[in-house]
Amino acid sequence: MVPAAAREELERLLGARNYLDRAEDLVLYEYDGGVDKHRPEMVVFPRSTEDVVAIVKITGKHGVPIVGRGAGTGLSGGAIPRAGGITVSFSRMNQILEIDLANERAVVQPGVVNLDITLAVQGDKYFYAPDPSSQRACTIGGNVSENAGGPHTLAYGVTTNHVLGLELVLMDGTVVNTGGMAQDVPGYDLTGLFTGSEGTMAFVTKVIVRLMRQPESVKTLLAIYDAASDCGQTVAEITARAITPVAVEMLDGVMLRMVEEATHAGFPMDAEAVLLIELEGLIEQVEEQVEQIRDVCAACNAREFRVAKSAEERDLLWKGRKNAFGAVGRVSPFYYVQDGVVPRTQIAPTLEFIRGVSAKYGLSISNIFHAGDGNLHPIILFDARKPGDTDRAKAAGDEILNFCISVGGSITGEHGVGMEKMELMGNLFSSDSLDMIQGFKNLFDPECRLNPGKVLPTGRGCMEIRQRPDFVL
Amino acid sequence: MERIAPSTPEQMAEALAAFAAAGKTIHVGGAFSKLRQGGGHAPAAVTVSTSALTRVLQYEPKDLTVSVESGLPWATFTRLLAANGQMVPLDPPFASQATVGGAVVSNLCGPRRRWFGSARDLVIGMQYATLEGKRVQSGGMVVKNVAGLDTGKLLIGSLGTLAVVLSINFKLAPAPPCTRTFLFHFTALPAAIQKRNSILQEVLQPWSIDLLNPHASGRIDEEGWVLAVQAGGSQRLVERYELELAGTRVLADEAEQRFWERIREFIPEFLREKPDGYVVRISTPIEALGDAAASAPVPFLARAGNGVAYALFTDADGAANWLKSAAGRGWRGVIEFAGADGAGPDEAWPNPGPELEVMRKVKQLYDSRNLLNRGRLYGRI
Ligand SMILES: Cc1cc2nc3c(=O)[nH]c(=O)nc-3n(C[C@H](O)[C@H](O)[C@H](O)COP(=O)(O)OP(=O)(O)OC[C@H]3O[C@@H](n4cnc5c(N)ncnc54)[C@H](O)[C@@H]3O)c2cc1C
Repeated sequence: MVPAAAREELERLLGARNYLDRAEDLVLYEYDGGVDKHRPEMVVFPRSTEDVVAIVKITGKHGVPIVGRGAGTGLSGGAIPRAGGITVSFSRMNQILEIDLANERAVVQPGVVNLDITLAVQGDKYFYAPDPSSQRACTIGGNVSENAGGPHTLAYGVTTNHVLGLELVLMDGTVVNTGGMAQDVPGYDLTGLFTGSEGTMAFVTKVIVRLMRQPESVKTLLAIYDAASDCGQTVAEITARAITPVAVEMLDGVMLRMVEEATHAGFPMDAEAVLLIELEGLIEQVEEQVEQIRDVCAACNAREFRVAKSAEERDLLWKGRKNAFGAVGRVSPFYYVQDGVVPRTQIAPTLEFIRGVSAKYGLSISNIFHAGDGNLHPIILFDARKPGDTDRAKAAGDEILNFCISVGGSITGEHGVGMEKMELMGNLFSSDSLDMIQGFKNLFDPECRLNPGKVLPTGRGCMEIRQRPDFVL
Repeated sequence: MERIAPSTPEQMAEALAAFAAAGKTIHVGGAFSKLRQGGGHAPAAVTVSTSALTRVLQYEPKDLTVSVESGLPWATFTRLLAANGQMVPLDPPFASQATVGGAVVSNLCGPRRRWFGSARDLVIGMQYATLEGKRVQSGGMVVKNVAGLDTGKLLIGSLGTLAVVLSINFKLAPAPPCTRTFLFHFTALPAAIQKRNSILQEVLQPWSIDLLNPHASGRIDEEGWVLAVQAGGSQRLVERYELELAGTRVLADEAEQRFWERIREFIPEFLREKPDGYVVRISTPIEALGDAAASAPVPFLARAGNGVAYALFTDADGAANWLKSAAGRGWRGVIEFAGADGAGPDEAWPNPGPELEVMRKVKQLYDSRNLLNRGRLYGRI
């Protein structure tokens, strides 16, 4: 329980309009984009770094657990509290503080929505490269915490490759700036350490991001297949021929039909799979690569090959891709998105394995994923109202992820471990490696009150003895 | 002095644990080609080299990834990749002596940093041994991976002060069929900066944009202010660059290779020539790079599209004074290489800021008794 004294101090600090504690308000904060649910006892809305420092200190004094929250689109339970306590929502720290095109930088508060950075600079022909499919909603703070990726990270890299500096509030209330406007600043790469730390080591209160110049030319291609294996073969062949698209996304037949029904983007209803490929760069390069990919697709038995003719057609195809989860939601009220990664040459066998899992558990599994970098998103459809279905969905998911590990891959490419996959960490990492992560957790959050009970397998994350009895996991 | 070069990761981890248990100070390195870097090193009880860890652990060209042990010579590594039409475009200096691990841990990136990034952008996984004898893995063999903390990032640029890197996994890029280099010569700096700006603001995506002042260009048989721009890709793409970047001189093939080799080896050559030479490295916002160039009284070589620059001094005071004035203008910098004994001026890293306290905590976590490469990290850790 959050002690009354802590509530009063927070109310005094923030004012009545900057916190929530009524049950009907709190229900909105008990979930994120994943499948788990836990309700916080209070949600606070800082408006400045000073507010965040004060919140850290007040909750520290009263030993209350805290968890940061951006837009709550995370898919691994990162932003939901394990054991009550207070959620710190960054939605009101949503200002773009500085845009500096000459230096290819922007400085933003953590609550800024990903797409808003690109919208702010696209008139000047710049963009912010990491483009999670959730980019209309998710925040930079959440992106930094999860080290988010997106379709175009195939060419441009993930969040960590585009973040140059952070302002952090540590759990003792100190404010630290890591990195900076310039590159290669001396010393240890703390920016790199904190990016992807899943909100378990510090709060992010400011982010310096890199902006890139828009390419001269963009072409979006759609290749349509009657066999998913041909689709996988195409991806392998694109790599083998050293062609460098900026995005290669695959949708299987089940997914295609759901997406088409929801968005009418022009995807074929009867195909087994499609590839959505994007090329960017100078006109010459893009034109050449369109032809090279046309050849590869033909050699790999594509039934049809289309080049989007207009910006509208392009946007529509991408809208279909980026709204895929929404499309799934229309068909199945409950679904479980996986995020395993495999080496590119293992995509075809992994898809085959997933088909087997689907049959074994009697659950429909559709696939939509970042094929270019081997990051799979099998979506397991289930019905939580049916007894046992949720457990079967989770078991099917674990089986798929263990397969990814067995072929040299990882359990998560961009969604994070969170509370969802923490028990699998022991299958991926040795105890030496887990000890190291634990060492960092203890170093930056010795009382284990920042987003406790995440990332590390149960029994490792927090020293249970240090945990106050009323917040025990 | 005891000197060892364990030939397996297990032996390396065990040796470190044993030395640490005995409280021995340890000097760790690969080929020890960069002894003058990073504040030098205090004498240590034992020297540990990764030079016997030379296996290629995994290389499937079709996956565009590779995993190698840290002691593999950089030259052997790049030859292996080139044979498969692939590359890790890091261009480290001391390339003919350096090991893969040394190149990454010293984090001295080269000209192609503009387009391909630095080690932090190309390394996808790492295994390292700690003083507790643990073998820690971060990342893996896939290009996208957020499982666990990215502690490998800390090792990049750590100059051996945290742990000993055992193996490194990289993502690979296909080597393009053609490259071209365009040299622009100017009599004055503003014109060079203007040219750089116009390239940055246009749609071109050059790999490298390096700037040399007249002192620097003289060292490689050029003249005046030189902006060197490299692009790579298909024949047609390169022709487009030729159209857009009609510079003073276009380099291809061997002449091009020789040029970039001299740029890569610019600092090593200076250090060989000047046992008492000092090299200052500074980082500035891209826009401020021109001011930095204008203020350098000595050979000055910059990654002009990144804002990272090196200035070469023949004496400690000159280096320290210039660095101090650069720091006074808000730029971040260090004395990267010092005189032959490795000892640098006291202020090898001025104004590190409060971030240093967090770095010290990190050091404590890995090496609480300061046994590893004592003195490195510019004497601040
Ligand atoms: C439809 C859909 C599509 C998606 N597509 C992608 C995709 O393509 N690529 C991808 O990578 N992800 C994707 N995601 C997942 C999700 O959008 C990302 O993980 C995103 O980065 C989360 O941002 P958020 O603002 O919603 O963070 P939240 O979910 O609110 O929080 C995520 C984590 O960050 C922490 N956190 C948030 N803000 C801060 C802060 N300021 N300081 C410290 N910790 C903080 C939280 O505690 C939590 O651990 C998708 C999700 C959905 C629902």
